[in-house]
Amino acid sequence: MLGPSGSGKSTLAHAIAGLLPRGQGALRSGRLEVGGVDAWAAARAELAARVGLVMQDPDSQLVMERADDDVAFGLENRAWPPAAMPARVAEVLAEVGLAGLEARHPDGLSGGQQQRLALAGALAPRPSVLVLDEPTANLDPDGAAAFLARLDGARRVDGTTIVLVEHRVESAWPMADQLLVLGSDGRPIDLGPPGAVVARSGPALLAAGVWLPRAVEVALGRPIATRTLPGAPGGAAVASAEPVVRAERVDFAYQPGVPVLEAVSLEVAAGERFCLVGPNGSGKSTLARLLVGLERPLHGRVLLGDEEPHRLPAAVLARRAGLVFQDPERQFLARTVAEEVSLGLDEGERVGLPELMSSLGLPLERFGPRSPYRLSGGEQRRLSLACALARRPRLLVLDEPTYGQDRHGYEGLLRILEGRLAEGAAVVAATHDPRFVADVATRTLEMRGGRLSERRTT
Amino acid sequence: MHPLAGPRIRLLQRTSPLVTLAVLSAWSVAVVLTLDPRRALLASGMAVLAALLAGGVPPHRLAGLAAPLLLAAAAVGLFNALFAAANADPAARELWRLGLLRLTEPGVTAGLALASRVAALALLGATFALTTTATRLADALVQQLRLSPRFAYGALAAYGAAPHLAADLVTLRQARRIRGLRADRHPRVLLALLVLALRRAERLATAMDARGLGSGSRTTFRPVTLGWPDLVWGSIGLAGLLALRAVA
Repeated sequence: MLGPSGSGKSTLAHAIAGLLPRGQGALRSGRLEVGGVDAWAAARAELAARVGLVMQDPDSQLVMERADDDVAFGLENRAWPPAAMPARVAEVLAEVGLAGLEARHPDGLSGGQQQRLALAGALAPRPSVLVLDEPTANLDPDGAAAFLARLDGARRVDGTTIVLVEHRVESAWPMADQLLVLGSDGRPIDLGPPGAVVARSGPALLAAGVWLPRAVEVALGRPIATRTLPGAPGGAAVASAEPVVRAERVDFAYQPGVPVLEAVSLEVAAGERFCLVGPNGSGKSTLARLLVGLERPLHGRVLLGDEEPHRLPAAVLARRAGLVFQDPERQFLARTVAEEVSLGLDEGERVGLPELMSSLGLPLERFGPRSPYRLSGGEQRRLSLACALARRPRLLVLDEPTYGQDRHGYEGLLRILEGRLAEGAAVVAATHDPRFVADVATRTLEMRGGRLSERRTT
Repeated sequence: MHPLAGPRIRLLQRTSPLVTLAVLSAWSVAVVLTLDPRRALLASGMAVLAALLAGGVPPHRLAGLAAPLLLAAAAVGLFNALFAAANADPAARELWRLGLLRLTEPGVTAGLALASRVAALALLGATFALTTTATRLADALVQQLRLSPRFAYGALAAYGAAPHLAADLVTLRQARRIRGLRADRHPRVLLALLVLALRRAERLATAMDARGLGSGSRTTFRPVTLGWPDLVWGSIGLAGLLALRAVA
């Protein structure tokens, strides 16, 4: 299932799983049949018996304190005979590549392992339909590839019907037998085998801002890179020497004896775009917070201009550095979008807001009165970008700025970054998105186990 | 029987958590019923033996959990010994004096009694926490006390999600600071924290619904049964209770 941000993909996925709110305030019509059952009329339990669901966030799906208990949870609820459970639990754990980790606490697993454990839990009762709503959203490329490979395996072994909402079209595309594309108004653009959909509605898909695999886009006549910033591989060179932010041999740990960063040094100049890549848990987000003065180094120092950012008063800091947090929902502080984006701004800074919001596809007339929590994932991320950009800081630190963005959102982001860079800003981005690295980075370093190294060229 | 956590299966991993709880609670009641520090001391020893021998708890884990509680118990005892009403009684035997501070024998006895009781209760509680996982307790509540699975496993999930609150609070404060606002205990931060907790709860509830919780009859992966381990542990419990009664 493809569609631009906010087109209703998650809503449809939840409807299939029988999880939409019922009763008052819920308007629905038409017919939705799941495994031969009328999903509008059926009891929630009746649907739950037929449908498995995997969502985006691993830590709000796992309930038990041991991996095997968690897999068995769904079997218990569906009243499987106890004698059949141990064999099925072992089988499905092996299927997702977690054999040997039965006794582990889910909190101690990596993000990729946690998502595969959630997949095992959903697969165990042999559902006739498996619904996955952006299951790889929080995973690094290796974790995402492993997840999708296991999903493909399950499809071949069990013959389960799979409904997948996924932004990583490149790897998910070959798995799809049918493609449903939703438009930004929530109406279907097309439905059919991928080849036929592209042949019939290719230009409409591009116009809707839906990501398509590179080969498909090229075949449709769209150049691979529509907008590459100057200085990025393939762009013109960028010249500047003035450092905006500098880290000198920074060590950091949240708990004594568990180092998160070790001897990290870097320097980012005005106009430069610095990309940090590397697996989940390697310290990228921590480095991002240190650069903008939200944490203080254990040893070494960070210099923003010529001052240590963690010593700056908030009002000063906010005008020199901006940060887009990894999980946008966790940084919202206000009731409405308009309130959120103008929080802490002075009169002069408010003037540019309407234009900024429109260029991010969140025009204030339409989105202003809405609750930040009720936006789609892609819209939330663009709102958090707007919050960071509103004060025009010289240093912009972006933690996974592109996840959940459709093509329009992505191009809007690049357009804005281009403008800010021309004004002398510097950008540091922690990202898993190879396309963003290719289009934007002037320099890319890899982070592994809390240390920075030149990127291995593959 | 399924293999349970740890290299060796000890008695307290094979008993029903409810029986474990019943025995430790009975001992706690016995401690509360008297002021005699000897009984509290005996109960403390029994708790430690139960944790180490019957529960297979590594000594350093017991020490790690009990140390702050024991420190608190000592502080309670010291405070009560120093400021006991008996210290003002001129008839009380004086042990030590510094200016206005006077330490008397009845004061010290009262302090000791309180400290030893708090210590015993802390050790009994620690023993339960270290020998019983939340999952097993939830299993037992559902299977043996017929508690609603929705309630028991919902509470279990909430317990598992609690540590996220602390991380959310840090992130929200940082979000305020980077937007130029003071990062203190602003009501909006607490409101946002509440919203995040509710949304996480909503997602957890959705995930548990989707996995069929509360959809009808239910079977169990790890049956909690009453058997000879419960008989053995129950007997130990009774013997312990009699021993506690015998002192004081």
